Amino acid sequence: MFGLEFPSIDNLVKWPSYFGEGTFYGLNKIGIISLIALIVPVLMFHFARKDLVPRGMQNVVELTVEFVEQQIIMPSIGPAGMRYMPLLLSIFLFVFIGNFFEVIPTFQMPANARMANPLILAIVSLVTYVGVGFKHHGFSFLKETIWPSFVPVGLRPLVGLIEFLTVFIIRPFALAVRLFANMLAGHILLVTFGVLCITLFTLSPLVIVLPFSFIMLVLLTAFEMFVSFLQAFVFALLTAVFIDSSLNPAH
Amino acid sequence: MYYALLAAEEIAEEPSNPIIPVWNELFWGAISFFLLWALIRYVLLPPVQRAMNDRAATIQADRDAADAAKAQAVSASTELEDQLAGVRAEAASIIEQARSEADAERERLVARAEREVAAMREIAETEIQTEREQAMQALRPQVADLAVGAASKVMNGTVDLGRARPVVNQILNSPN
Repeated sequence: MFGLEFPSIDNLVKWPSYFGEGTFYGLNKIGIISLIALIVPVLMFHFARKDLVPRGMQNVVELTVEFVEQQIIMPSIGPAGMRYMPLLLSIFLFVFIGNFFEVIPTFQMPANARMANPLILAIVSLVTYVGVGFKHHGFSFLKETIWPSFVPVGLRPLVGLIEFLTVFIIRPFALAVRLFANMLAGHILLVTFGVLCITLFTLSPLVIVLPFSFIMLVLLTAFEMFVSFLQAFVFALLTAVFIDSSLNPAH
Repeated sequence: MYYALLAAEEIAEEPSNPIIPVWNELFWGAISFFLLWALIRYVLLPPVQRAMNDRAATIQADRDAADAAKAQAVSASTELEDQLAGVRAEAASIIEQARSEADAERERLVARAEREVAAMREIAETEIQTEREQAMQALRPQVADLAVGAASKVMNGTVDLGRARPVVNQILNSPN
């Protein structure tokens, strides 16, 4: 009706490789963002001085470390969770930087709007959960999951099956999809308002709506910056909660 | 025309399912994340945590030192006040002792002075008595003579001086 031509989903999220197209090592925009999400924390930590009085980049790095410690580890696991700081810090930084490319010009694509990175992180979360459980409780950890002693014997096969599916399939899948779907939705929203602005700019009768669309685009960009942080926080926090439930299954 | 082209494209190329991950993105994502994890675990995080722990330890040590200094100051103040109280008590004791010693000295001096005064008075009285005795002794013959002479004049020379003089002397020598 208005001549709006919305691009297909593949046009929004599927990127050709810069080399090795069609191979498992083909490097596309998502791969580059993933590499940048590796390089940025390395540079941050490298250029952070280790002085007694922090300043500059050291403030940023220490603030990040303290944030993960005070807002993710301590509330969910407690002091015993400090040994998982490297994992949780890596997850937080990797997800946040990957997400933040949603609002960085020329990229404008969150790496986690593709399923690959969320899936990898969800598998890492699952493996950590299982590994911590086995390390601290041995085989009884798995036994309690698939043959729970707290339910009547007759219900154990059913509850065990539900628990197994919940813990080993649904929970990691939900973890990955939560991040992926949120970032994809945000990306589509920004593209929608971007396309709307461009289209309205060329259509004279509806140009009066353009300021509103543009304001919405700016506001949603700010909102996506917040969502980038929030999703990274949620992913790391849920991983910490899983680790805690593995450390203390009775809870 | 445009929609016809789009439809033709859709027929030619089936859109991919976005929830299915692709291998090359999995590959680079896995490499990036595991490398980041390893670097943070073994290289990047330990010095930062060490610096943070050192700072926390330094702050704690400074705080402990400040607490210790404060406690020491309070202790020194208390000790000083105790010493001051001791000194005040000692001063009061010394003053009291000096006062009692002064009182005793004063009483001793007063007593000695009284004794000396009494002795001097006694000596003076003795001297006065002696002087009086001597004066009486010296005056007695003249007084007797005067008395006898006066009596003789009164009696128109009828008084026997040889008899009257011993009587007069006896009267003068009597205590009253």
